[in-house]
Amino acid sequence: MEKFVALTASGIAFGAVLAIVALGFLVLYKATGVINFAHGDLVTLGAYVAVWAIKEHDMPTVLGYVFALIAMFGIGVLIERIAHAPLRKRPHMVVVIATLAAAISIRGAVSVWQGSEPKSLPSPVGDGVVHILGAVVAYQRLLIIGVSAVAVLGLVALFQRTAFGRQVRALAADPDTARLHGVRARSIAMIAFGMSATLAALAGILIAPLSAVDLNFGFNLMVLAFAAAVIGGFGSLGGVVAGSLVIGLTQQLVGGYVLPAYASTLPFVLLFLMIVVRPTGLVELERSRL
Amino acid sequence: MSDSTALDTPPAQDAATGASGASGRGSGFDFATTLFRRRSTPQPPVYGQHHYLVTGLFLVAVALIAPEIAQSRSDQFLVNLWLVYCITGIGFYWVFGLAGKFAFCQTFMMALGGFMSAFLTRPDGMDQPFLVGVAGAIGITCVVALLLGLSVRRAQHFYFAIATLALESIGHTVFKEWTDFTGPNGTTVGVPPAKIGGTEFLLETEVFWLFLGALAIVLLLASMIERSPMRREAVAARDNLLVANVAGVRADRHQLMLLVMGSGLGGLSGALIAHWNGVIGIDSFGIDLAIGIFLMLLLGGSGSMWGPVLGAAFYVLVPDLLSDIERYSAMVYGLVLLAVVIAMPDGLVGTIRKGTEAVLRLVDQFRGGRPSPAPATADVGGGGAGLAAGEDTEIDIGGITGGDVDEVGPATPPSAGTNGGSHPAGDHDDRDDHEGGGGAAS
Repeated sequence: MEKFVALTASGIAFGAVLAIVALGFLVLYKATGVINFAHGDLVTLGAYVAVWAIKEHDMPTVLGYVFALIAMFGIGVLIERIAHAPLRKRPHMVVVIATLAAAISIRGAVSVWQGSEPKSLPSPVGDGVVHILGAVVAYQRLLIIGVSAVAVLGLVALFQRTAFGRQVRALAADPDTARLHGVRARSIAMIAFGMSATLAALAGILIAPLSAVDLNFGFNLMVLAFAAAVIGGFGSLGGVVAGSLVIGLTQQLVGGYVLPAYASTLPFVLLFLMIVVRPTGLVELERSRL
Repeated sequence: MSDSTALDTPPAQDAATGASGASGRGSGFDFATTLFRRRSTPQPPVYGQHHYLVTGLFLVAVALIAPEIAQSRSDQFLVNLWLVYCITGIGFYWVFGLAGKFAFCQTFMMALGGFMSAFLTRPDGMDQPFLVGVAGAIGITCVVALLLGLSVRRAQHFYFAIATLALESIGHTVFKEWTDFTGPNGTTVGVPPAKIGGTEFLLETEVFWLFLGALAIVLLLASMIERSPMRREAVAARDNLLVANVAGVRADRHQLMLLVMGSGLGGLSGALIAHWNGVIGIDSFGIDLAIGIFLMLLLGGSGSMWGPVLGAAFYVLVPDLLSDIERYSAMVYGLVLLAVVIAMPDGLVGTIRKGTEAVLRLVDQFRGGRPSPAPATADVGGGGAGLAAGEDTEIDIGGITGGDVDEVGPATPPSAGTNGGSHPAGDHDDRDDHEGGGGAAS
């Protein structure tokens, strides 16, 4: 029982982080149609910015976190200017390759800046644990679940209740018509890049205290988040959250009980089967909406 | 196969090509077409690229020059690395450049081929000769690619990319955990050196000839594909699947074929690496190499079989040249790639070709003593001699935008009646590509 509770808690926490990664990725996809392969490296970069602020500049933990989020918004906008704006009229594949180039550049820049040894990031809630039904659960995991829930609800509100959200949804549904109706696609693209990078950083910061931060840390998360997005139908917010939880729980529970050595491949096996059987995802939508 | 009339030439352009043919093609660039123009079945312009001749010259040049300039062991190592990357790069060119499949699994195929060959040949494995190992490596990668291609055949674009990314990740863990097949911690040591007949390839200089031989076979194969209708139809399907399907192109078949063959080359290069180094570890086939293969193709140009060859040279040389600032190499790659994508979408090969073409046109003008009329020049760009500008320049896989109405334009089936099928269908992919790119850019 303890094992089950502990595995479930870590599965949900991991799924929550994946949901944040996947949502950041989807926000950008919806607003601009860009599939951003640099998203994983933005996760890494966000975690490193927080490490830098807190460890090297002795910022208080929470302040360092907030600093990282704000800095990453700026970096997101910068990436939009460098790697997206000049390619606006070019085929999508070129833009995708440009994001791959951005990913390599970010990775290279981080390795120059911070070196390649793994770093650790302190948690704002310390290393404390709480006992739930006899199982040991780190405070950090509860924090992840709480923050993620708030972030997801905030995104839902943003997309359903604000003018910005309406415009993004319009762009997602039909970019040309949306532009004809006066949606400012360019400024929205900049904001979307910034938001996406902020969400990436949030995910990185949340998960980093549970493990070490290294150069590949974000990329692996991104691939899993792709899996979550695909399983969730690649469009609906709820689907993505559900997909993330499925991935997180599968990896922890099935991996924890049955196949420890192969635990990390389970989401990919799931993903692969999903693409084979239902290339459109579990939650099939006629039109993708947020 | 080659006379898929729906992809035939529009009459207007046909006439223009005919009129300007003498000046456009007489530029010395497209010699064969000029030579054989009177034959009842005209040669497809793609033959004017002289693939066999260029391949032969390239191989002779490498055979003569490389041993001369690569005197030190480390230089010889780099040359060999370049050759083996050329092989995998050409395979990836088939998958990504021609079939338009965003596949992340080329490194997985390399690792699979390497481990398979190592398992077949190592004394505590099957203890078979080298050639059996290589054949096994190519065989297993082809089979795995076939299964992959069949099982995800309904997945398009992004989903295909994700599926291959998943395969790569699964493979990584499996190779690491299945120690009976690979070895402790996903590393096989003691792979015997390559040996054909009585000749053992142990030194770097000996390995060079083995790799050059393998590359020769691969380039020959690549030339055949470059000249084949399959390439043209695959490119048509890549750029606009809908129109290609309507025109009767068996797109799925071509894409599967290219995926299988390209993966087979990945397996071959992995096997060669294993026997060359004597050791193969899964960690050297990680995401860095996967991105590196992308870089090779994109830097060199994804529109021609020479793109990966040039790109691989760049990829191998740059870290060596920049060894003082090696820690910056990843960043340099990224920024160079970004610059290439923005400023040189055709890669190095495309840019060089465009330059050559411009110079040739200039020379032609001076020699002829009159400027070519503008429409003719434009047509040269799109048609026969424009193989450079047109055919080989696409990064635009059209993939994600496929089905976009704008892009349907150039490929719209023309009135087949008026030109009576006298025109070689081979003329066509050039023009298609070119205008597809133009349409997308406008």
